[in-house]
Amino acid sequence: MNKKDMEPIIGRYVKVRIMGDDCRVYFEETGQGIPLVCLHTAGADSRQFRHLMCDETVTNKFRVIAFDLPWHGKSYPPAGWEKREYRLTTELYVATIRAFCAALGLEHPVALGCSIGGRIILQLAHAHGSEFRALIGIESADFQQPWYDTNWLHRGDVHGGEVCAALISGLIAPQSPDEHRHETLWQYMQGGPGVFRGDLYFYRVDADLRGKLDGINTAACPLYLLTGEYDFSCQPEDTLRTANTIPGVKVMIMKELGHFPMSENPAQFRKYIIPVLEEIRRKG
Amino acid sequence: MPEDSKNSPAGLEQELSARFERVIPEAVNSDRRLVWRGRNLTVDCLVQIGTVPFLLRIEEGSIRECRKGLPLLCSWVFAVRGSAQAWAALWQDPPPPGWHDIFALTKRGEMALEGNLHPLMANLQYFKDVVALPRKGGSR
Repeated sequence: MNKKDMEPIIGRYVKVRIMGDDCRVYFEETGQGIPLVCLHTAGADSRQFRHLMCDETVTNKFRVIAFDLPWHGKSYPPAGWEKREYRLTTELYVATIRAFCAALGLEHPVALGCSIGGRIILQLAHAHGSEFRALIGIESADFQQPWYDTNWLHRGDVHGGEVCAALISGLIAPQSPDEHRHETLWQYMQGGPGVFRGDLYFYRVDADLRGKLDGINTAACPLYLLTGEYDFSCQPEDTLRTANTIPGVKVMIMKELGHFPMSENPAQFRKYIIPVLEEIRRKG
Repeated sequence: MPEDSKNSPAGLEQELSARFERVIPEAVNSDRRLVWRGRNLTVDCLVQIGTVPFLLRIEEGSIRECRKGLPLLCSWVFAVRGSAQAWAALWQDPPPPGWHDIFALTKRGEMALEGNLHPLMANLQYFKDVVALPRKGGSR
């Protein structure tokens, strides 16, 4: 075995009880130091963070942990899934994150979430900020205007994986390297039927957070919002509008990036995320 | 705003239409992988650049005809209509943020998808790649 060919990422499963369901949750981790919990986008999985998890600048200071939400990636749906329609809600999403952190015994972690993960970061800052050292929302806003009918994502006469990937392909910046562009699309081609749509129930229906983000204490729990200029789903103006309602939030618009910064162009993303993580680490 | 919008609207439409015709159908039909990806699509559809309509007759992923202007009483299954500014921006390399995808353009009201969208949605990446071909550097 050539050691340099072996990545440091370790994958495991943990049993987590979430709102009455026993869930077998898959997660990957690497590094040591401050726990950094990463939340993937709708309809995808924790593989989106593989580049961040192999970046020694990060893993020398942070224990990076990324899990697949139930129904996603290698986390099965809970038993009895075949008898229900999957719908992510704000309550379920918050419960999942808190239960996962508790199951791993994480003390005061940093949480970083993208897209739906970015939206729930805002809710965590609003309702559970004291549990976190810092919160980072990537492609994060309190609301954004829909741009297609999600019924197209789950129907018998259109291939779900192909249409999911084709829809979101435009959210990737044109400058992103082909290899990473197509790896990002592959994640969307592999989602279970109706899972992306079920995630978007949270995004579009359940979690309109406009006017509901009062009381965020960025002095106690710093909040960072970073959005790619090519994201036309969570547009830079959506993030800036949200930031204007939160005193003390730090906001950045990232050049030549779209909706999947850590996955579509890891080299470009690290220019923005490394200084944020370094600032969090320095604050202790 | 795309730099080409400095031109007169009619001039811009002419330039964009000529650009479209230079690429379609040859760049599609000579790309075996692209044709293969569209192998399940046989449809007549409309692509409109400003006020200039093109009828595309697609057969199993190949473009059998790209006709400027519509024949009398012509039918089409779906249409993609964009302002000249929309197409000019989409075909810049790189396209500016918010003008870089047909859904970015529909969201900002510069493009419209009409008709029976099922064949479009069932072959969406193929179609997006076809209409992006006039961009320097071709399809993504």
